[in-house]
Amino acid sequence: MGYKTLLLTFLRPYSAVVFTDNPYVGILIVGMTLLNPSVALSGVIALGFAVGFSLLIGFRAALTQSFYLYNPLLVGMGVGYLFSLSWGSVLLIAIASVFTFILSFILNRFLSPSKIPVLSLPFSMVTILVYFASLQYSGLLSSLVQHQYPNETLLPAILIPFLNALGTIFFLPMSGAGLIIFMILLYTSRIMAIMALVGFYFGIMIHSIWIGSRMEAFADPYAFNYLLVAVSLCGIFLLPTLKNFVLALMGVAVSVLLTDALSVFLGYYSLPVLTFPFALTVIAFLFMLSVIDYPEFNHFMKATPEASLSHYLSTLFRFGKITTKISPPFSGTWRVYQGFNGEWTHKANYQYAYDFIKTVEGKSYQGEGKYPKDYYAFGESVLSPVSGYVVDMRHDLVDNPIGENDRVNNWGNYLIIRSDAGFFVEISHLMQYSIKVAIGDYVVVNSILANCGNSGYSPQPHIHVQVQEVGFIGGFTKEFCFSDYLQGGKLHLNGLPDHNEAITSLINDKSIASRFIFILDDAFTYEVFEDDLKIKEVTFKVKMDNNGEFYLHDEHLNRLYFYNDAKQFYFYHYQGKASPLKWLFIVAPRLPFIGGQTLEFTDYLPVYLVKTPWQRWGIELVSTLQKSFYKIGCSYRFDGITLTSHYGTVSLKPSQKGFETIQYNHTQLRRIL
Amino acid sequence: MSKMSYEKPTITKIDFAMASKYGSPMKAQRVRTHIDGVSIHELTHTYGSPLFVFSQRKIESLYTTLHTAFASRYPNVTFGWSYKTNYLNAICRIFHSLGSIAEVVSEFEYQKARSLGIEGRDIIFNGPYKPYDALKIAVQEGAKIHVDNLFEINDLEKIADELGVHIPIAIRINMDTGIYPQWSRFGFNYENGEAYEAVGRIYTGGKLSLVGIHTHIGTFMLDPNAYKIATTKIMRLKEEVERDFGAIIDYIDLGGGFASKANLKGMYQSADVIVPTADEYAHAITDTIHLMNKSEHLPKLYLETGRALIDEAGYLITSVHGYKRFPDGKKGYILDAGVNILYTSSWFNFTVELDRAYHGLNEPSVLNGPLCMNIDVIEESIMLPPLDRGSCLILSPVGAYNYTQAMQFIRYKPSVVLIDNVGQAHLIKAMDDLATVTHKEF
Repeated sequence: MGYKTLLLTFLRPYSAVVFTDNPYVGILIVGMTLLNPSVALSGVIALGFAVGFSLLIGFRAALTQSFYLYNPLLVGMGVGYLFSLSWGSVLLIAIASVFTFILSFILNRFLSPSKIPVLSLPFSMVTILVYFASLQYSGLLSSLVQHQYPNETLLPAILIPFLNALGTIFFLPMSGAGLIIFMILLYTSRIMAIMALVGFYFGIMIHSIWIGSRMEAFADPYAFNYLLVAVSLCGIFLLPTLKNFVLALMGVAVSVLLTDALSVFLGYYSLPVLTFPFALTVIAFLFMLSVIDYPEFNHFMKATPEASLSHYLSTLFRFGKITTKISPPFSGTWRVYQGFNGEWTHKANYQYAYDFIKTVEGKSYQGEGKYPKDYYAFGESVLSPVSGYVVDMRHDLVDNPIGENDRVNNWGNYLIIRSDAGFFVEISHLMQYSIKVAIGDYVVVNSILANCGNSGYSPQPHIHVQVQEVGFIGGFTKEFCFSDYLQGGKLHLNGLPDHNEAITSLINDKSIASRFIFILDDAFTYEVFEDDLKIKEVTFKVKMDNNGEFYLHDEHLNRLYFYNDAKQFYFYHYQGKASPLKWLFIVAPRLPFIGGQTLEFTDYLPVYLVKTPWQRWGIELVSTLQKSFYKIGCSYRFDGITLTSHYGTVSLKPSQKGFETIQYNHTQLRRIL
Repeated sequence: MSKMSYEKPTITKIDFAMASKYGSPMKAQRVRTHIDGVSIHELTHTYGSPLFVFSQRKIESLYTTLHTAFASRYPNVTFGWSYKTNYLNAICRIFHSLGSIAEVVSEFEYQKARSLGIEGRDIIFNGPYKPYDALKIAVQEGAKIHVDNLFEINDLEKIADELGVHIPIAIRINMDTGIYPQWSRFGFNYENGEAYEAVGRIYTGGKLSLVGIHTHIGTFMLDPNAYKIATTKIMRLKEEVERDFGAIIDYIDLGGGFASKANLKGMYQSADVIVPTADEYAHAITDTIHLMNKSEHLPKLYLETGRALIDEAGYLITSVHGYKRFPDGKKGYILDAGVNILYTSSWFNFTVELDRAYHGLNEPSVLNGPLCMNIDVIEESIMLPPLDRGSCLILSPVGAYNYTQAMQFIRYKPSVVLIDNVGQAHLIKAMDDLATVTHKEF
């Protein structure tokens, strides 16, 4: 292991305690801990033993997951708070650290399947054990530390309890230490800083109501639990939104209760409550919210609450809330006959379904509509809405004459396909003997499966499509949306058309799709012209990061992350400074694989792309209250070759991969390789 | 009180098996009073009978559906209107205005296309018989010549020498597509290597170059898979000739043969069930091109659809001249249209609609034409109510081949009316007369 890696491994746990991953923050906090040398050294020793143990048993993965190290760190600091350094205490630290490591693993094993973080629960548990045991350790009595802390008068009195509480997290109940931590919080994330303040003072207020004295509430040494709960439940594990703000305050109130209860119980043995209330409250809340699929759960934790919210909102606006997407199961223009929660049959457990018919001048049949073949939908091809395997089908039922219905086999002739994404799609009322695929066949999206018929419970020929979690006929429906369709002249992405709306499906143009299959080490070289004067050349190369995500990078190592989901090519994240790559994201955030017509669509750009850092701070903060504040929509036009917007233009070449020219402001990039 | 009309008694065999859930066959009548909003009576009154009627709206709808099915899956598709299916000027003009080029199979059709203002380069010239002079004109005017046999290659080389030019051409190939019958008499065979050798011969000659490959696998094709196979083999040949002869193949032409919703005689199921949709044909062809394409560029795709674009847009209005009761009890109607103008009645059962609702029960009837030929029967057995002189029947779909294959035999070829997009009827061809028939006689 290299020296740099080792150093980072030691610094990370310190910043992890305040929910950040910044080695400089780690250095600052280490320095701060030197305010109490016993605590500082004990912490380092504990860390050393934890790292050593992990290397000894060959469990190197532990070194990249912060909870394996910050728990032993806190245990060490806890021991150091109680006993000054001696051989006895070092031995105690070593064993406690190793045991904490093991306990962290065991707790994680139980909690991680439900997506619950371990937090500092191992630390609390082991430190209580150590404190219990230490009641018997007369050998260490001589090392008992006496704490004397200077009285600060420079800072406003109202803030001192708060800062003390912050410092107490690191066993340094001094407002000086707390001030450093608060500065770190403020610099890292305004949301964290605000939540720490709000959580602390709200907790104090609740506590003071119950114990009847504000002074006593302020003097409570375990009040740091309140601010940890507030920061965790609004910003870290749950997104920083208004709803979660309310949840966080409730969590704070719960932790007040827990703190008081535990302090009575543990007080019998003169034991500190440590971070038990915080860990128990947060784990309880997160367990329930995770299991019920709470929408504002922070599934993709980024470096700061702002970044998490940014990512969440950007994804929400660009890709929609519903992650189950299918293509319309037809080609051409069809009308919605019945949508979600329709007036006839799409109800309750079967509400998430769509019925489509074909109309000409408002009528779905020609002549008098006496026979199925008079209906425009009858006999039309049914296209596959997803790529996947056919798992069930039936096509022996007759197509009912108009006016008759099959109430027994109400699904009629049907097909069920297991999409590659895991969900099942069911299509009903197909024509007798018209299914062209067999069970076990793999079908590609848009391929032709069968013909529209009038079997089952079908008053007129129509296509019925629904999504299910299960693969058998009659399964309950699951919410879904249509990945793309044309309606009212505009391209609708991730949409749900209304009753009676006519939508046109868009068939994938394979010739465009094939030009966006980027492989590792593909390189795109451009000449950069500024006002028609060549200034330099740039090359974008395709690389993959440690998470398996693909990106384009240039010589300054700016990264533009992209993805190709077989229906469109899109960029979703940019890392770096201003560069042509950043502009590429702005000018071409998404490219639908649809040729043969001019399409207009709206895409929403992530705030960090088009706003200055100060504007970004402001928008991210306000978006916690009003999500739509984050929406920066821009209209794009694509005709199969050129994508234009008010930001600029990109164009494609039929025979080459990637972009041919990129234009924005006065700059133009022209492809040469 | 008006005089009640006399209804002759009907003679029908009682057959309980005839009861069906669609209502009694004794009473069911198919009535069509209007075509595209224009009344049948108005049409016959103004333009006479028999009368071909075409609907521009239907043509455009069929074209848009088929073209979109291809264009949404493939970036470069052009349709060539098959003149032999229907070469009436007004009809051809509609297709050209929708974006079609022309596909012709003789110098007569070639001249017709040119007379409509179509440039040589927008004409695909097919056919096994291309007289030398016609071929020379086609070369001079830059037409897309699809070579059928080695003699044609010799002719073209001679023309190349005469004109001092290098001629870009395409060849027609035939292959086994899994269907019967295989049209092996047109073009060069793929499986026995004839097609490959023909390309070799072209490049050895040095005066011609291959820019396209064409095939036309059949007519009224009910299996889209045959197109998949045809496309696969064309793409394979394309790859071989590009690799071995340095040919630069600009386009492939999959010909025509798409079926229309007409009821083929001998088919038990109705057309709605057995005729593939536009999507199925488009998917079979375009998917295969994408799959098989080995060169940098995707080839242009040409299609020479005829029937599928015009058949359902054409109707024939015919009037009853009189009737007889045959010895077997069937009612035989004498119509003013017969196999002389409905040549395809040999293979198809047309939909017969009445111009209005009639009183009386249906009886088994025969529809006979005006000719004194025993074969002139349009419909051997059909359930119709009692009709009288002057009743009109509307037969469909008759848009494909019937006009072009109509005989100048016994009766003059009829008038043709086109109902445009706004529901206005226009006479696009008047009935022939003696002068038309004897025009070239001495």
